[in-house]
Amino acid sequence: MITAERKPLEELIEYIKPYKRILLLGCNECVTVCAAGGRKEVGLLASGLQMAMLKNGKNIEIQQHTLERQCDPEYVEELVQMIDGADAVMSMACGCGVQQVAMRYKDKPVFPAVNTKFMGASERQGVWAERCQGCGNCLLGATGGICPIARCAKQLMNGPCGGSVTGHCEISEDVDCAWQLIWDRLKALGQTERYLEIMPAKDWRPAGGSGPRKIIREDLAE
Amino acid sequence: MSFQKRLASHEFAVLAEIHTPKGINISRLINDARRLKGRIDAVIVPDMENGIMRMSALAGGVLLQQQGVETIMHMYCRDRNRMALQGDALAAHVLGIQNIIVADSADMSESDHSDAQAVSDLNETDLIKALKTLQKGKDLSGFDLDGAPDFTIGCTLAPFSSDQELNQALEQARAKIEAGARYIITPPVFDIASCLPALEKIKTLGVPVIATVFLLKSLAIAQYIANSEPGANITDELIRRIRKSSDREQEGIAIAGENIIALKDKVQGVVIQTLGWEHKLPEILDVAGI
Repeated sequence: MITAERKPLEELIEYIKPYKRILLLGCNECVTVCAAGGRKEVGLLASGLQMAMLKNGKNIEIQQHTLERQCDPEYVEELVQMIDGADAVMSMACGCGVQQVAMRYKDKPVFPAVNTKFMGASERQGVWAERCQGCGNCLLGATGGICPIARCAKQLMNGPCGGSVTGHCEISEDVDCAWQLIWDRLKALGQTERYLEIMPAKDWRPAGGSGPRKIIREDLAE
Repeated sequence: MSFQKRLASHEFAVLAEIHTPKGINISRLINDARRLKGRIDAVIVPDMENGIMRMSALAGGVLLQQQGVETIMHMYCRDRNRMALQGDALAAHVLGIQNIIVADSADMSESDHSDAQAVSDLNETDLIKALKTLQKGKDLSGFDLDGAPDFTIGCTLAPFSSDQELNQALEQARAKIEAGARYIITPPVFDIASCLPALEKIKTLGVPVIATVFLLKSLAIAQYIANSEPGANITDELIRRIRKSSDREQEGIAIAGENIIALKDKVQGVVIQTLGWEHKLPEILDVAGI
């Protein structure tokens, strides 16, 4: 999923200060799963903003709505009914959702309420960790299902480096050494010969080296 | 007279670009530069221009300084982060290079290492600010330096093919000048008469304008630039002149030399670009009477 964390309230207040009627938008997808911008968080933030603004002597109207998927134009279209009642939109979706709304409703200021962080997985209740950088050329088949691009601090293609100590990365004891994980996994799979293969320097072209990427499926595109 | 003094005294400066080798054979670099000694004010050493991996401009610049040729080194942001850029700037100063042009760089996809990862940690304006910060004895994180460098910083104007694009390029240039650039290099000018209105506009930036004179090595190159860069100002008349010439190579040299003469009272200086034909620079200077 795409993970996100809510921005500090003070920053959000700065965004909406000039406006009276705010449409606060959640998203039912990734940001709901990582508890950053789903229906529940929309409700909590609406109360928080209203209280903070009242403290500053300003009464604002906050209309709350959570879309099924904010990155999908089909759902963003739903807002046609309510957009006119708002001076500005604050979106709790990831950056994709914020931009989708901004692109569709060009005359409305749209502000992000969360910081989009990374593509990650849940490690345990309340903990999410980065797992994928969308490099466009998946290596997981060669590395035992552990990604050295997303999980090695140096993005080494042939690790580990000298900073790998007892399975941890030198940057923090809280970070596993990706190459230790790769080795352990290849050993468990009986594929240690894969480790000995020297991988070439990474080709970064599919990772967006030539600018923003696009996928066009001719069979689906209208 | 040093390039800095020439700029300050508003005298016409003549600069020429010399590329570093793709390899370690520096004899051409040294010989080409030696032949220009005393004839031009400084040599500009581009850094991996057009995305071609070459010996770094820092090394090339130092080699030329050792030959007694004043050097202006290109710096750009695609391949180095803020730490490497600052480190190179400090190194350049202690090795005798005090002139830096903060230049644009080709997209990595257009380079000869298109699979490499671009860095682009800073942009050109950021880099100029970083160089100014170093001059004040601090690094970008605010830490004190043990000795501050001194640079004369130049910047480049982005290519333009319309008034709107020129205005946009000027807007970006203003930011670079505000950040600390003290002169600006234009994109190549070919037909001086039709370039004059643009040059006048560029002069409103309030810093010395140095025009780029590009050697048209062949008819094919002239046609290619005319077709692919509509703003390049290569007129049909210019193409005809090269086509009709019995010695097209010599014609290109003559055009470059004549353009230098034509620019003498229009701008603060010229930089001659020959892209690999640096050995032709003396002939261009002969035509220009320099």
